[in-house]
Amino acid sequence: MTEAQPVGETVIELDESLYPKDAIYGAAYVFIDRCYVHLDRPAPGRVSVRLRPKANVTVASADLAGELENELLGQAWRRLLVDENRRLVETVTTQALAGAAGPPGLDELLEMDLDAEAFDDPLGIAISWEEKYKKRPPKPEGE
Amino acid sequence: MQLARLGSRPKRPENLLPVRHRKVGDAILLTTQFGDWVFVSDAELAELMAGKLEPGSSLEARLREKKFLLDSLDAGALADRVRRKKSFLRHGPNLHVLVVTLRCNATCVYCHASRAPMDRVDTDMSRDTAEKCVDLALRSTAPRITIEFQGGEPLANFPVVQHAIEYALTKNRAYGKELEFTMVSNLSLLDDERLDYLVKHKVQICTSIDGPAALHDKQRVLAGGSAFSQAARWIRAINQRYVDLGLDPTLYHVEALITVTRAALDQPRQIVDTYLELGCRALFLRPLDPFGFASETGHKIEYERRSYLDFYREAVDYMLEKNAAGSEILERYASIFLTKILTDDDPNFLDIRSPCGAGIGQLAYNYDGSVFTCDEGRMLHEMGDDLFLLGRAGEAKYRELMTHDTVRAMLAASNLDAQPDCVSCTYAAYCGICPVHNYETQGSLHGRMRESDWCRVHKGIQDYLFEKLARGEGSVVETLKRWTTARERTHFLQQCASS
Ligand code: SF4
Ligand code: SF4
Repeated sequence: MTEAQPVGETVIELDESLYPKDAIYGAAYVFIDRCYVHLDRPAPGRVSVRLRPKANVTVASADLAGELENELLGQAWRRLLVDENRRLVETVTTQALAGAAGPPGLDELLEMDLDAEAFDDPLGIAISWEEKYKKRPPKPEGE
Repeated sequence: MQLARLGSRPKRPENLLPVRHRKVGDAILLTTQFGDWVFVSDAELAELMAGKLEPGSSLEARLREKKFLLDSLDAGALADRVRRKKSFLRHGPNLHVLVVTLRCNATCVYCHASRAPMDRVDTDMSRDTAEKCVDLALRSTAPRITIEFQGGEPLANFPVVQHAIEYALTKNRAYGKELEFTMVSNLSLLDDERLDYLVKHKVQICTSIDGPAALHDKQRVLAGGSAFSQAARWIRAINQRYVDLGLDPTLYHVEALITVTRAALDQPRQIVDTYLELGCRALFLRPLDPFGFASETGHKIEYERRSYLDFYREAVDYMLEKNAAGSEILERYASIFLTKILTDDDPNFLDIRSPCGAGIGQLAYNYDGSVFTCDEGRMLHEMGDDLFLLGRAGEAKYRELMTHDTVRAMLAASNLDAQPDCVSCTYAAYCGICPVHNYETQGSLHGRMRESDWCRVHKGIQDYLFEKLARGEGSVVETLKRWTTARERTHFLQQCASS
């Protein structure tokens, strides 16, 4: 699945029916502090991930490719687990948040925008947390 | 191995709960998701995997006694047990780490991005900031909270430690919480007057001892003297104060922490002996954290986790010998795991629970009032990464911090029911993972346990403990059981009349 590329660069082509798109994004994200990452669609149903190591990175491209493959598997499996165990995971999360936060005080109730709360996304599923808080998405090639 | 021998997909006897198995020494360990466990032989496992369980057999009796059979389950009792084990979910953060300064008078090989030289008074927490941090801590829904003073070296900003203690005692009259104070210090800036204050205000004192004097002094360099002799002198003086107060020295004594570096690995017995000589009854053999030191230092002091686990086994074997010979000393990792394995309690150790205590179990307050999910998250901030920053004391509201997206993400990431590998691990009922560690070593909050040093250490320690339980030597099992009984140090609880 790994193609021969210019020295230091790794391209991995993936079958979209095996790896959900969000798992590919999640796994590619893990590399953006070490590599420039480019996603492409070389053919229908195929996604390619190109990792181009940044100047100070000395990791061998085979290791980067291996790490990406392992990370992809982990991310894809974790998504399945979250789906399978959704009730259990959500129950624990809700209990933990309710236990830690406690009931709102009167001033908070007055300030609360109930419409916004009602459509809250407690597990942060809608937006990737990394996307929201830290790393900026990789720049497209050539920019 | 079993699958190959059977040549077919295993099936489970109808009456058997889902189990996970692992070869531990010569025995095979079975566990359930509720934390019940039993040892079976190879032949017995093969029988179970073929879907057979002979009614009236000794295996059936053992499985019934150990609550592995569906018809032996009492649903009500099981629900109570799960509730009890997860009771930490009912409350917010009980540990509040106040970094009152980054200044430190010692230079340690493993330390740390989060230390500043003694002239950097700009890294001292102000009284006003300390008050804001205490205000936030007291808002916690936990009925009992511990305020832990750390640094740098907290004695370098002692007036603010005093102010925070007095302010917390006064404010707590309105909250009526069970309140405790602890301080982690190298003790070298202690004097009799400060000690009088700390003893009078029932502040538990904790220090660092990295092993025998030569090792300790090599790793923790103190200008103008031996760090070990300073710490040892004060440990003895503080322990004597407790004796003078009529407190039981087996319960009340200075606690010490070790940082296990590569140089420590060939001295397991000497380290245990040093702790015993100093009157310390507990050793927490934590491996090096990947946070806080420069990578070039890391190369000198880091090690393979396999070597660490050999060290761990030798040190704990020696502690067990010492216990059999009448000295009392325990290993904290073992004590945490054994409490989960052998009892219906959970010690609520924030790094070994599911989900972990990031935000919902602890908060760390930096000298400037910035608030983090935990002290490890704060250390990453000192290395230039603000991922675990939640807000600022005095600005952020308590409930905002608890429901912060980062806290939610860490809750989800440390829930073992959603973690590949952990979800099917024999040790899942007793274990926990660390999103900060995952992030620092593998780039995501979730990490990959199969390749993680964190997992390697936890698995290795639990293998060791279950091997001991499988072997079943009387005096060893007796000591391991004793390590699960936590005695309450009530003297350190602040008297407080709520108004
Ligand atoms: S993130 Fe790690 S260090 Fe922080 S509370 Fe969780 S387990 Fe502990
Ligand atoms: S961290 Fe490792 S030992 Fe612990 S539950 Fe997960 S896989 Fe098992």
